[in-house]
Amino acid sequence: MADHRPNAAPAASLSGLTKRFPGFQLGPLDLVLEPGTVLALVGPNGAGKTTTLNCMAGLVVPDEGGTEVFGKPVHSTRTEYRRDIGYVGEENGFFQGWTADRNLKFLAELLPGWSHDRANRYVERFALPLDKPVNKLSRGNKTKLALVAAMAHGPRLLLLDEPTAGLDPVVRSEVLDVLWEITEDGEHAVLYSTHVLSDISRLADELVFLRDGRLVLRTGRDELSEHWRRVSFRLADDDVELTGVVEHRRVRAEHQVITREAELTLQQLTDLGAEAVEVSRMTVDEIAVQILKEGHHVARTES
Amino acid sequence: MWHALRAELVYFRMWLLGGLGIATGVVLLLSVLMRFSSDADGPPSFVVAMFPLIAGMVVSFIAGSYRSEEHRARLLLSGALTPRQLAWVTVLLPACFVGLSVLAVPVILGMATLAAGKFEYSHLPTAGSFALQFWAYAQLGPLGQESSAARRQHRNRAGLVGWAVFAGVILVLAGCQVILRSTQGHLWQVVAIVVAMVVAVVLYQGRTDFTR
Repeated sequence: MADHRPNAAPAASLSGLTKRFPGFQLGPLDLVLEPGTVLALVGPNGAGKTTTLNCMAGLVVPDEGGTEVFGKPVHSTRTEYRRDIGYVGEENGFFQGWTADRNLKFLAELLPGWSHDRANRYVERFALPLDKPVNKLSRGNKTKLALVAAMAHGPRLLLLDEPTAGLDPVVRSEVLDVLWEITEDGEHAVLYSTHVLSDISRLADELVFLRDGRLVLRTGRDELSEHWRRVSFRLADDDVELTGVVEHRRVRAEHQVITREAELTLQQLTDLGAEAVEVSRMTVDEIAVQILKEGHHVARTES
Repeated sequence: MWHALRAELVYFRMWLLGGLGIATGVVLLLSVLMRFSSDADGPPSFVVAMFPLIAGMVVSFIAGSYRSEEHRARLLLSGALTPRQLAWVTVLLPACFVGLSVLAVPVILGMATLAAGKFEYSHLPTAGSFALQFWAYAQLGPLGQESSAARRQHRNRAGLVGWAVFAGVILVLAGCQVILRSTQGHLWQVVAIVVAMVVAVVLYQGRTDFTR
């Protein structure tokens, strides 16, 4: 999916991005997002996902480092880069007493490149009620409105903070379909943060795991599921040390392990003479949970 | 910028109309009561003018609070507005509310005259002085907000400057009330108001976090 044209600027590039708060530091983060890519920021609460997105949208000024969007520097005093960005945050600043329709009309006059056709198309797909005041909309409908507002001016980079939170399964599926379609042309990119790990396997090409403000791991979705396995086996030796194992349980005579280096672990088990070896694949969200649980350990070994 | 300012004025117009409606009601009640009380003139013009001016000032505080609560900066900064333009929207909004309430003053004065039967117009310069005072108080809202934001974002020097200007404006207002109740005093008040507006804009531009 990624655009490999030699002169194409990255959709977004973060270089040494650092933001300090009392008791918390984000970064330094270095990250490049190519056009045509969907990148998921995954991490527990307080990992720095929202701050990263806010820095990229120009809403938070980093202490060090910076961000470029399609080659244009993100700076609070400039507006050139904003045309390329569609941002959905936890709060989106709508006039709460106005209807969704009126808010969209206001934005149509404010945002260059706004397309009424595009806006109407998304409104229909998301079944967004336009006639209700924003403060009477459910959380899901507010998210839908924010998505329409973020996409109607045709940005090339979508920054989405928990875009599927509060959505019912049907609309959630529709939203994920739309995001997938957007990146299909190879010119658009999506960077989103999520707690809903099942979204990852559906949408993300690449995953970035954040923990305590630091990048723990960046990996392709397929690459990730290639190496992680759940393995059960029988072995006389109780104190066996296996390479790549992140979780080890003993159920009577049977050992159950989760490994992030399946080939090495299986080779070791063969060498040790393990019996009844059974290997099963893990879903991407199961792997993500393991990585978040083992965040520090993975960071150390991957580096 | 003007589009955003107009939108904010339209959004909060019911608050302003409501405030002016209450002010009119109070003035009319006062005028009628004074008409039927013995030997009393109508309420002095500066008293009549005070109510709509207070309405404009209060609505500017309400608008500031709502805009902050609704995270309006996020919406406006997603468009073509720079932080400087957004800051001007924020500081011009109180000026517009007080300005619109000044426009309502002659209408309410006329209604009070009709209700009271007679009227005392000799205090109109005092009403003008009141208008300046209430405008200044309204402009202290954004300045105080930005001074707090600067301290919260650990821009301590900026925060100190903001609060120093805040205190300075209050001193000028107090001084003008006590010492300089003249054209020169009014001029000083206008200078203080403009300084408060400019400092609020500069502090806003220096923000490191526009999410709130």
